[in-house]
Amino acid sequence: MARYAMVTDLTRCVGCQACTAACNAEWDVPPGQARTRVLPTGAVGKFPHLRSAFYVAQCNHCDDAPCLSPCPSGATFRAENGIVKIDRNLCIGCGFCVQACPYEARYLNPATKKVDKCDFCSARLERGRQPACVTTCTGHAKYFGDLEDPGSDVYRLVYSGGAQRIESDDVKVGPNVYYAGRRGEPELVAQMFPPRQPQLPSSGQWWSKVVKPLALAMVGATFAGQAIAFFTQLRKGEGQFDE
Amino acid sequence: MSSAVQMHSTPTGMIKKHHVAIILLHWFNAITWLLELTTGAALIQSEHFRFAPLWFVTMITEVFGSRANLLRFHIAAGLTWITVFAVYGIFGWQTYFHQEVLEREVALDRDDFNWLRIRLLRILGRSNEPLPPQGIYNAGQKMFAVMVYIMFPIIMVTGLIMAFHWGSMTVVGWAVVIHFATVAVVVSGLMVHVYMGAVFPEEKPAFFSMITGMVPEEFAYKHHHKWWKEVKMLEELHAAGQPEPRPAPAPSRLLTALRMKEYWPGYWAGLGLGLTLLATFLIVGQGLGASGGFTRYLAFILSLVAPGYASAHPYWSNYVQPGQPVLMDFLVFELIGVALGGLLSGWLAGRLKWTTDKGPRISPKTRWMLAFLGGAISGVGARMARGCTSGLALSGGSVLSAGAFVFMLAVFAAGFVGAFFLRRIWL
Repeated sequence: MARYAMVTDLTRCVGCQACTAACNAEWDVPPGQARTRVLPTGAVGKFPHLRSAFYVAQCNHCDDAPCLSPCPSGATFRAENGIVKIDRNLCIGCGFCVQACPYEARYLNPATKKVDKCDFCSARLERGRQPACVTTCTGHAKYFGDLEDPGSDVYRLVYSGGAQRIESDDVKVGPNVYYAGRRGEPELVAQMFPPRQPQLPSSGQWWSKVVKPLALAMVGATFAGQAIAFFTQLRKGEGQFDE
Repeated sequence: MSSAVQMHSTPTGMIKKHHVAIILLHWFNAITWLLELTTGAALIQSEHFRFAPLWFVTMITEVFGSRANLLRFHIAAGLTWITVFAVYGIFGWQTYFHQEVLEREVALDRDDFNWLRIRLLRILGRSNEPLPPQGIYNAGQKMFAVMVYIMFPIIMVTGLIMAFHWGSMTVVGWAVVIHFATVAVVVSGLMVHVYMGAVFPEEKPAFFSMITGMVPEEFAYKHHHKWWKEVKMLEELHAAGQPEPRPAPAPSRLLTALRMKEYWPGYWAGLGLGLTLLATFLIVGQGLGASGGFTRYLAFILSLVAPGYASAHPYWSNYVQPGQPVLMDFLVFELIGVALGGLLSGWLAGRLKWTTDKGPRISPKTRWMLAFLGGAISGVGARMARGCTSGLALSGGSVLSAGAFVFMLAVFAAGFVGAFFLRRIWL
């Protein structure tokens, strides 16, 4: 099975946001939201040693995706080709996954009240086409392909071209969107936009830490009480009515 | 008065405890809870929150084919549950949400608190104290009722929030947690309820009263003494020809409607039919129909008699395909339901009898012949119009199909003209 990955060459990225526009048009992304965004780091450093880069952010389809386990209904899942997808029939819009994502790649679609994000343009892949952001990129900065195919661009860039993941010391969840750059852009982006710790909203924390143990204890205690009552009754023998 | 009551020796008859409407609601509720608990437990997949074992989750998911189907079923059954309770609540408001009724059936008094304490000690074999007298429901049943009154609305509202995504992510997130927590509370109460009803020997008559509606008088005397006294007092007052000390709460309009010998008022029935149609669209994804179902039955008979002819015929091949079950269609089952529902409603209203509805001038034989003739004409007509008054006019009209309105106009126009010529059959 394929293991899809994307490589963005930040040296070639000119920050034109054509990828964002193409993605929004392809997937009817509501105003104010985006599945892929271009975030400038701004000028970093002290004159005359200034550096800057654009961070092209999107879902990373992580190997240890932290968005998978908090989803109560199992709407978020990993397809066989490694792509993390959302089954919109199952999504109830609780947003647990939105807070869990270290890369802030998920949003609630106000029209459908369900969560959306990049799925590597799965519908286009099925038709044998590349993702919309890749074909649109004006600087030809984006590469998409299969990491199990040694002939692919992504294989070359990831295994011998020095493309790297945006990770921090705390958060290493195996993102599958890699960043290349000849002037240290990936390091700069990792420094300016470090992934955040996966979070579970307070409702979810209450559920897993308080409500679920309490519920199990309550049902268990009732069961134990009934078992005692039942055996007491057995020992006493069965009578039609008391008195 | 009370001394007269206490002079009764061991009573032997039966006393009516539950109305048939309550018995039906009870078993509907029981079945719904069984289905909702099973599907709900299988729906919680996340490793953070899952509590049912994985094999159970997988098994239930496979029974329903996919998790999306599972969720759809859970929501559809939940909506049905809410609708039924809403209907009972609206029509039974006067009967059940009466201060007097609530005091008698829900509120706990001093006897009740003592009863709870002694009951528990007795079950554990730690006491032989006699139990304080109880009303129509004992303290345990009352506590369960209080819990149900509080928890059911919460479960319904949080369920609706999740199903229709009412509110922000925070709201939906909390709805999930509260839904789960309230269900857990009900489940622990339910376990006691089921244990008492199904296992506990002393409450056996209470279990059977949920089927027949009656309890042995001896059981009422011993377990619900205050209620038994009330019943006896009323009976004696009644026998003495005295008016009852206070008017019994008026029966709800739903119960009156169910007991009515006459047919329902047309507006109510229309509203009910509309809601049924809406529910059908929501649950099955198609409207109601009649002629389509009959066509299926005919096609089925044809496929038994002459399968080759049927599957080659330009019209019947729409229904008869080799390897395809002919009767696998919603309308087929809907028609069975219509027949059963009509039977039930006739039975509830005491209207069941063999009769031929006809005008005064014609014999039953003529009426039957004309009915078959008319049925055949409208049957052929319905297939030519691609629908009947149910499938085309009702279901089509509800989705604003232009053909439905043309058809409705044509039906009324033809009926208006035809009735003039056929009026002697009925007048």
